[in-house]
Amino acid sequence: MAAHNFKHALFCAVVTMVIAFPILGLNLVARGTRVGLEGADASTIISVFVAAAIVFFFQLYRDTIMGNLGKLPALNPLAGREPMPQAKRVKLESWALTGIIVLALFWPFFVSRGSVDLATLVLIYVMLALGLNVVVGLAGLLDLGYVAFYAVGAYTFALLSQYMGISFWMALPIGALLAALFGLVLGFPVLRLRGDYLAIVTLGFGEIIRILLNNWTSITGGPNGIGGIPEPTLFGMEFGRRVKEEGNTSFHETFGIAYSGEHKVIFLYLIALVLAVITALVIRRLMRMPVGRAWEALREDEIAARSLGLSRTAVKLSAFTIGAFFAGFAGTVFASKQGFISPESFVFLESAIILAIVVLGGMGSQIGVILAAIAVTILPELAREFADYRMLVFGAAMVLMMVWRPQGLMPMRRIHIELKRQE
Amino acid sequence: MQDLLYFSQQLINGLTIGSTYALIAIGYTMVYGIIGMINFAHGEIYMIGAYTALIAITGLATLGIAWLPLVLIVALICAMIVSSSMGWAVERVAYRPVRGRHRLIPLISAIGMSIFLQNYVHLAQGSRNVGFPALIDGSFRFGTGEGFQLSISYMQITIFITTLVCMTILSLFISRSRIGRACRAVSQDLGMANLLGIDTNRIISATFVIGAALAAVAGLLLGMYYGSVDPLFGFIAGLKAFTAAVLGGIGSIPGAMLGGLILGVAESMTSGYLSGEYKDVVSFSLLILILLFKPTGLLGKPEVEKI
Amino acid sequence: MKMSVKKLATAVGASVALMAAGQAAAEIRIGIAGPMTGPVAQYGDMQFSGARMAIERINAAGGVMGEQLVGVEVDDVCDPKQAVTVANRLVNQGVQYVVGHLCSSSTQPASDIYEDEGILMITPASTSPEITQRGYELVFRTIGLDSMQGPVAGEYIVSQNPNKVAVIHDKQQYGEGIATAVRDTLRNAGVEVAMFEGITAGDKDFSSLVTKIKQANVDFVYYGGYHPELGLILRQARQADVNAKFMGPEGVGNKDINTIAGEAAEGLLVTLPPSFDEKEENQDLVAAFADKGEDPSGPFVLTSYTAVQLVADGIEQAGTKDPFEVAKALRSGTFETPIGTVQYNQAGDMESFEFVVYEWHSDGSKTPVN
Repeated sequence: MAAHNFKHALFCAVVTMVIAFPILGLNLVARGTRVGLEGADASTIISVFVAAAIVFFFQLYRDTIMGNLGKLPALNPLAGREPMPQAKRVKLESWALTGIIVLALFWPFFVSRGSVDLATLVLIYVMLALGLNVVVGLAGLLDLGYVAFYAVGAYTFALLSQYMGISFWMALPIGALLAALFGLVLGFPVLRLRGDYLAIVTLGFGEIIRILLNNWTSITGGPNGIGGIPEPTLFGMEFGRRVKEEGNTSFHETFGIAYSGEHKVIFLYLIALVLAVITALVIRRLMRMPVGRAWEALREDEIAARSLGLSRTAVKLSAFTIGAFFAGFAGTVFASKQGFISPESFVFLESAIILAIVVLGGMGSQIGVILAAIAVTILPELAREFADYRMLVFGAAMVLMMVWRPQGLMPMRRIHIELKRQE
Repeated sequence: MQDLLYFSQQLINGLTIGSTYALIAIGYTMVYGIIGMINFAHGEIYMIGAYTALIAITGLATLGIAWLPLVLIVALICAMIVSSSMGWAVERVAYRPVRGRHRLIPLISAIGMSIFLQNYVHLAQGSRNVGFPALIDGSFRFGTGEGFQLSISYMQITIFITTLVCMTILSLFISRSRIGRACRAVSQDLGMANLLGIDTNRIISATFVIGAALAAVAGLLLGMYYGSVDPLFGFIAGLKAFTAAVLGGIGSIPGAMLGGLILGVAESMTSGYLSGEYKDVVSFSLLILILLFKPTGLLGKPEVEKI
Repeated sequence: MKMSVKKLATAVGASVALMAAGQAAAEIRIGIAGPMTGPVAQYGDMQFSGARMAIERINAAGGVMGEQLVGVEVDDVCDPKQAVTVANRLVNQGVQYVVGHLCSSSTQPASDIYEDEGILMITPASTSPEITQRGYELVFRTIGLDSMQGPVAGEYIVSQNPNKVAVIHDKQQYGEGIATAVRDTLRNAGVEVAMFEGITAGDKDFSSLVTKIKQANVDFVYYGGYHPELGLILRQARQADVNAKFMGPEGVGNKDINTIAGEAAEGLLVTLPPSFDEKEENQDLVAAFADKGEDPSGPFVLTSYTAVQLVADGIEQAGTKDPFEVAKALRSGTFETPIGTVQYNQAGDMESFEFVVYEWHSDGSKTPVN
């Protein structure tokens, strides 16, 4: 056993060297007009060796290490605790949620504009992640082109305002409904595909939408995007310094207060907050309705669900359409916040980030998804110097999550009964 | 005559690209055939193969070694070793621990791996496009005088021949060798193969290694053919290759070849007769259409849902 | 749960508040916004290096109206979403002047915020005509427009009397903008544009496109976009015996194109702003850059320097720090800067910005064509 272990450990260490050394240790650099090779600095080389050594010793004593880890007292002090009674938990949760919402309502008046603006972005991601959560987390359909519906929402508002002068409030439902319609139209033919095929087809669909937006220059402005998208108004009051639309009044003049750019940012934040809360509540409600149960049933066991009389197409379509609807919502808010949109905001990476949020938060769990959205958006802002490593960490986190905690940070918990094990 | 020459040229362009798609698609199709998961990180392994080949070529040039066959062989071997190790390691780290769980879990793990590898190379080598020396230069020309000349470059011929050779070796390997037989057994029924004494973990590792080695071949060939590498190009190529694998029927090796060629020609004809802008739209639409009418691809076996 | 959100909020709030707290009385804060990370960080470096140098030199010479300039640097990663976030952060910090951003798609949404908040913005790098076409009072630039560079290239092509021309672009704002301008110039001059087509940025296989160019039998190809794609097109075109002359905008004119295209880069034509660092009167400045170990020859170094200098000159001339007055001063005055004499029109563009046609060589050097 020991000899076998040693051989395996050595092999693993050599593989580590092989995959790390050429890429990390030898850098391709441009020397004038030619490409040259340059050894990396000593610290990189040393760290490659250290990594190989760590892999070697870990593999060598793997059994002992893993065994000892298992014997360690539980790291989580709450692990052995009896679960809270259901009634108490629900009560506590709703108090916590109310508390958070109240806090979120008053918070923007005490902090700076930049933070409020960032918070608006977080809320947009919360909406997107909650929507995708329905599709991926609840219904178990892997959608890699979710950003397409986000783009449909954003472009609907941008185009409607540019060509027909339609305001944010009119465009909001139209954008969401149109996105839902896209979801329905795309979903109808592709939903009979199996999981992996569905993933690649949705990815393709996302790319097709983006390329079409980019190529259809006469309507969408192509790569130039669409600018001058109006901000939301409050009963016909605009928040800008000067009134842009005929017939509107401006907020600061109506109330006789000095103009401040903060008003606009806070107003937008509040709209996003209200919409995010609506999204969360609606989906929460849906989850407890028959349709929500059907999503999960189909995710857990398609054949069993169908034999119980659930229509596969109808159930999957409803998840797809509802997910798309909320992406359209988020898209409209995004367009309004940015004032300018172009196809480069709707690339595949965006889909991957939203998916990462859902996965990190715990598929199916709303609180988890909200926390993950906050973490994924704010952490890179706090640690700017690590911005380059953001995607690297994302990727690694996705893998590690799947290996160690596929249920996510805050897994969804349901009412359930556990049978006592017979001794 | 002119139009025919033009058509043939576009056809040749398409077939060249298509055969490299096929080489990459093998990796997807074999893995899918055996453990039923999409190895999303395969495109990145191809990219790493191309980078390693370029590093080897540049290193040899620095040492003053310029004898072409030696350079090519050394580059190819280096690329294959690094890519295979990468394929092996990726399977060990990201896929083996999640094998057998709900099918979304390995897929998400694979997407995470793909993002990770892309950024690993990005951070280590920078995001710049790096030029790849054209080691095999020159072309055959057909047609004379003023009009359109058909030209087939030596590089295109090399790509073609290499792909054919690789495919033949692979087919023989799968049908004749011990490991190949074991591979087929595992893809038929993993549990049963295990019971019959086949070390399934080893076979699955072997599948990843073979797929990665072929991706490295594609990396070297395409690096030379196109002329530059960057950390992002593996993702797009991987996507196309995966599309090719699905088109041909995932799990089927001849299917991967057929799918690759169809996709390559479709893209080339779209750019040639319509506009390059719509190339990707056409290839993805083709994928969606084929899946709608033949959900398991052109040569795929219809799948029976197991209860 | 509740705690963690609150903590996070406090942390974000506190960090921003701390940054704002460093504000002293007698200083003028200039925001410098551009990419420090991400795929185009190399261009961002040029911008920051130029702006820092200008701030240093102006401060060394006594500052502006007795006050010191202070640069507030922010990173927008060249992403429209991040650009809006950092623009809001600059507003927070009470910045009244911004030098930036770099990418047009970032400058456009950010400038909406600056205009609304009464912040004067000078972009040293964004060339999209759209930015100054919206009637904004506070938006300026120190670089030429796509719609100026395109015609220069177009007229040069016309002067070569080509039979047929192909115009290719990368379907991005910059590339398509210039390519459209070139096409229109050619059409107006009666030159036949046999092809006008986009490619996908990031693509590597251009064999079909090259075959198409060959079939169209053009003798001039204009490419709007950046060097990675043009490098490959040049190389693959040479493989396929295309003999047309190639031309591109300043986005292709750097040495990286030589590592990709090799010999095929010989004879490529490039429109570039004149090399400001070779001007007689800038040698003092060039030496200062050399002392810091920096290279002033990048296309955006001296435009950024100029942008900062214009802010300073504008304040001096207006005699007040009010951005609206400064904007008026910029529109009415004439300024001597390292990139030449600057005079603004109503839109906020320079009255003239010169582009020169260079011939690129396979060793990475360039010679003016005339």
